[in-house]
Amino acid sequence: MVPPAGPGVFTVKPSGRDTFKLVVAGHAFTSRSEIEKYLAWRAARLTIEQGGQWFTFKEDREKGETADPAPARDPEGPRYSFRMKYFRPVWRYKTTASPSWMRWSPFSGEPFISADPKTITDFEVTAEIVVRKGPMDDADPLAFEAWALSDLLINQVSPPK
Amino acid sequence: MIKRVLTASCIAVMAAGYIQAAPWVKGYVVAFYDPAFRFGGRADYSRGSEIQPGVDCPHGSTVHFAVPSQVAQSLSLVPWRTPQEVEAIASPPANGLTRDPAGVYFHTWRAASAFRGYRRDIETYINPFAAEDPGEPEVTSRIGEGFNLDGKIKPDDFVSPDGEKGIDNELYRAWGCDSPWRGPDGTGTLVLRSNDKMLEGLFTIVVRISGNKDPMNDDEATLEIGYSPDQIMKDARGNVGVDYSYRILKSEQYTKLKARVKDGVVETEQADIHMPEIAWFYNQLRDAFFRQGRIRVTPNSDGTAAGLVGGYRDFRDVYTQNVFTQAGGVQGVREHEDHIALYYALRRHADGMLNPKTGRYDGISCAYRLKLVPAFVVDPDKPMGIPSRESEAGRKKAFDETAAATVRAVDTLVVQPVPPDSTELTPTDGIAIGIGGVPLRGRGRGYGENRAAADKAKTASPQPDRP
Repeated sequence: MVPPAGPGVFTVKPSGRDTFKLVVAGHAFTSRSEIEKYLAWRAARLTIEQGGQWFTFKEDREKGETADPAPARDPEGPRYSFRMKYFRPVWRYKTTASPSWMRWSPFSGEPFISADPKTITDFEVTAEIVVRKGPMDDADPLAFEAWALSDLLINQVSPPK
Repeated sequence: MIKRVLTASCIAVMAAGYIQAAPWVKGYVVAFYDPAFRFGGRADYSRGSEIQPGVDCPHGSTVHFAVPSQVAQSLSLVPWRTPQEVEAIASPPANGLTRDPAGVYFHTWRAASAFRGYRRDIETYINPFAAEDPGEPEVTSRIGEGFNLDGKIKPDDFVSPDGEKGIDNELYRAWGCDSPWRGPDGTGTLVLRSNDKMLEGLFTIVVRISGNKDPMNDDEATLEIGYSPDQIMKDARGNVGVDYSYRILKSEQYTKLKARVKDGVVETEQADIHMPEIAWFYNQLRDAFFRQGRIRVTPNSDGTAAGLVGGYRDFRDVYTQNVFTQAGGVQGVREHEDHIALYYALRRHADGMLNPKTGRYDGISCAYRLKLVPAFVVDPDKPMGIPSRESEAGRKKAFDETAAATVRAVDTLVVQPVPPDSTELTPTDGIAIGIGGVPLRGRGRGYGENRAAADKAKTASPQPDRP
């Protein structure tokens, strides 16, 4: 249901035990939501391919990026199969005005890329995940059940160009 | 002297053997039937807005669609709704002075709740996978009723109140805080409603246990369970009457199992079990179908017995049974439950019936309690099937088509339209639901009208005006 990605659009590299770094790259920026959802879907599919049932999202916070604090575990609160609001990858992008990479972090407190989308020539969105097996820790806000997430996104996403 | 004693002993042994070898039979009618959700709160205790918090559910029963802030939180997950829309729906305009039912909480919220997908036109009770998970409180207690269905003792399994480890009852973990099924002594609103309907004649379940040895200890006994066409008889106080006769039908809702009786407690073999499922409307009456099921019957000193039936049930059956007897939004707002959250909780905790094609579990372990009252359970004179009610055929078809659409949706992940006669389209108080969760006025019966009056008005001949 999801069209195949063009060359270089999606890359995945192991970065530790059961840990993977996923990157979605493109040149034609559409919207933050569309591109992040595609990355989330790839994370879900990778988890399933690896024989896992769920994954945890590793937040990529640089020093001082505490404007939006890490969500706390709430064992007594409602449980979730996934919470899209906590799938928060970090962006890199170039514009026609600035050919060097610039970084945007969802934890910095700064608004999303303010440059005119038409001027964005390259972008990369990165997520690091840990693939997990067995019953899901559904009290962890950064836990995502792979099948449930894939089911939600499969009809919505397509790879960027 | 010794010879006499020996002779007497031989006679006694022979007599005892003769008594043990006598055929025996016990019958029961089910007087109460509910999910084995162990309540861990106190009936007289609430804390702020939390309803009976306890060791099972630390923040009490669910409060989905109970207050505007909670509704706003759920609707904020809908990507096509603006914050202004969310706020307007969460706090609808009705001020108590208008008689427009479309403006009140109930209809506004039930309409909006039915369309929470990634597109405005997706009905998400039928296509729950297309909505984000709104979250469901879960049971955190370690104690739960049920059976060790998989023969393993896993770290997250429940421990029974008697101390047995390895209890598999993931339905309790997933749905045990759901408001209409939670309460002390079977007082959850849908527990009461379904049992009230059963006692009023919606359906009857009977159990027959028989053997050829001692009724207290028999390792070759038989247990039968199934639908009876005979209405439950009550005594002068409204309790289920003792020792009335009921027929047991060998229908699609009937199972015969091998059993062992030890000290009066009956334990069946592990096998598929067909028996009626819990219902509170005729249209949802069907086979509960427990895979790898077991039944235990424990006698009480007053002649009644406590039954427990468990096994793996298809999550699609459990979901559709709970949602579509009326409509997802009607029940969700009325009962403070969110079926999309319940759907995700079911799938997250599914632990049986591994589907080799998908690699996912299609079944969830569960257990149900039965209160059993002595009865005579007999075979019908002639074989017969479960009677159908012609007057309810339309509603049953609506339920079946809606459930089938949901099964197609979750199996194929292709968004399904609402079937034309679906319960999801049935107007309530004259309000239907349009695409995008918009309440539509002036459809079907009006606010406060009853079905009989509306039907009579429809069929009545027009009366000429008086001169």
